[in-house]
Amino acid sequence: MERTEVINQLTVLFRKVFDNQALILFDEMTADDVDQWTSLSHVILIAEIEKEFKITFQMRDLNKMDNVGAMVNLIMSKL
Amino acid sequence: MTFTSFNFLIFFPLTVLACYLTPVKKRWITLLLASYFFYISIQPVYALLTAGITISTYIFTRWMEITISEKGKKRLMVANIVIILTPLFFFKYFGAVNNGLMSWLAGTGLTWPLPEISLILPVGISFYTFMAIGYTVDVYNEEVKTEWNPGILALFISFFPLVLSGPIERSGNMLPQFRNMGRIEYTNLTSGLKMMVWGYFMKLVVADRLGLYVDVVYNNIANHNGTSLLFASLLHPIQVYGDFGGYSLIALGTAKILGFNVMANFNRPFFSVSVAEFWRRWHISLIKWLTDYIYTPLAFSMRRKGMTGIVIALLITFLLSGIWHEANWTFIIWGLMQGIFLSFEAITNRKRISVESRYRLNKKPYYILFNIVLTYILFTSSLIFGRAENVNDALLIYQKIFTAPGPLYIEKSTLIYSFIGVSILFIKDFKDEYFPGKLEFFNNRNTVIRFASYIVVIFIILLTGVLNGSQFIYFQF
Repeated sequence: MERTEVINQLTVLFRKVFDNQALILFDEMTADDVDQWTSLSHVILIAEIEKEFKITFQMRDLNKMDNVGAMVNLIMSKL
Repeated sequence: MTFTSFNFLIFFPLTVLACYLTPVKKRWITLLLASYFFYISIQPVYALLTAGITISTYIFTRWMEITISEKGKKRLMVANIVIILTPLFFFKYFGAVNNGLMSWLAGTGLTWPLPEISLILPVGISFYTFMAIGYTVDVYNEEVKTEWNPGILALFISFFPLVLSGPIERSGNMLPQFRNMGRIEYTNLTSGLKMMVWGYFMKLVVADRLGLYVDVVYNNIANHNGTSLLFASLLHPIQVYGDFGGYSLIALGTAKILGFNVMANFNRPFFSVSVAEFWRRWHISLIKWLTDYIYTPLAFSMRRKGMTGIVIALLITFLLSGIWHEANWTFIIWGLMQGIFLSFEAITNRKRISVESRYRLNKKPYYILFNIVLTYILFTSSLIFGRAENVNDALLIYQKIFTAPGPLYIEKSTLIYSFIGVSILFIKDFKDEYFPGKLEFFNNRNTVIRFASYIVVIFIILLTGVLNGSQFIYFQF
């Protein structure tokens, strides 16, 4: 899967989880840039990503997702 | 020796001077000696515990570093956590477990062979144990490098500004600062002193003055009516904020003067518009610690359960937070109440946001004020359990609040001084919250205004502060 394709699918998930159809993802985007991206919603997002991409994260992976770019890289490494 | 003791006023300038005179590369030694001296001056024997936790953490994390298998690393991490948690459990919960077992066995007609043991909790044990656990987990997760210098690790665990009640700092922030210390800077000195002065104001003028009223009412629940109990209950959160917020600021200022940036522990919590936001502004270092090391692993393990998993994780996290405060039903209920409030907000979050954005409520002052007041009332209602001696007392307070109104108990001078202190504190917090950077006093560009404001605040502390060397509330935890 191409990176752009991952970002597109991820955008759909972000918009669904954070209930914001105007969200546009960028590599440097962090929780500070998105309303309602808290420790509570982060776990829901992770579960949605696992379901969508049919991958499994480890607890340790959570700490590697410093921003959206790192999240995309991690997803791609598991595909 | 504590921050409000006379000895600290001698110890701290001498430590700063000693650090200034020590070459930068050797300064960790001066700070380590000062930290152990500070701790030993409170409880000499218990410094052995701090040293033991440091040695165990050092050995296990170094061992983890040279272990290749993932399972082996995990075993070492768990082993160290169990070892360093054992003293905390022993000192904090032995009495409660022992008494519980004794009364249970007595109920079944059996006798318990061990006598009742009452232990004095080593001050700060929770805080430095949590810091050591955090470091161990971070090393396991490869988030921080293993510290090879045992002296630096010992300093991280015993650093005197934080050792008594936090903030519960993270190795990722502190270890690099300890490894690369800079010069003692004049700017750090002034900003640290400003934090300390405001911290002393919060503690001595606000918290200790309010404490005089709250203690009188809460220590004699039977003889006070519902109105006085309600009033004392409403003042109590401000007392705790003044006490622990003040302590935290003094800790931050002390560290700043020595050249270290420590995370803030409070961020104007009473301007929160939800309980979730409140817990992002109140005892921030503990909540971050609980989030990273308890809530997130729990929620992650239950992520496929959706909202149910989040609710279970929240309830368990805050239940543990309650038990950490005290092995007592009052704090268990207090913790569960936080978990329930947060779970309710999490479940209704989507609906609430949709209503708020449809009617643009977030911009309307009356809606913001309503949510601020509601959040304060919810926290106050839980803190009644946190402050009462036992559940029966807490229930009696609730009963009296709703059924036994009467004339308010007034201690004129206490309430007048409290009113002055609380008003100044809230005006400053209000200004910082809604008009940041405007109408500065401590940071005013005009030297006269700046120095005049220092003098006025110090004068208020000396004139209206309770200068009896009282302890900080969080020392008991």
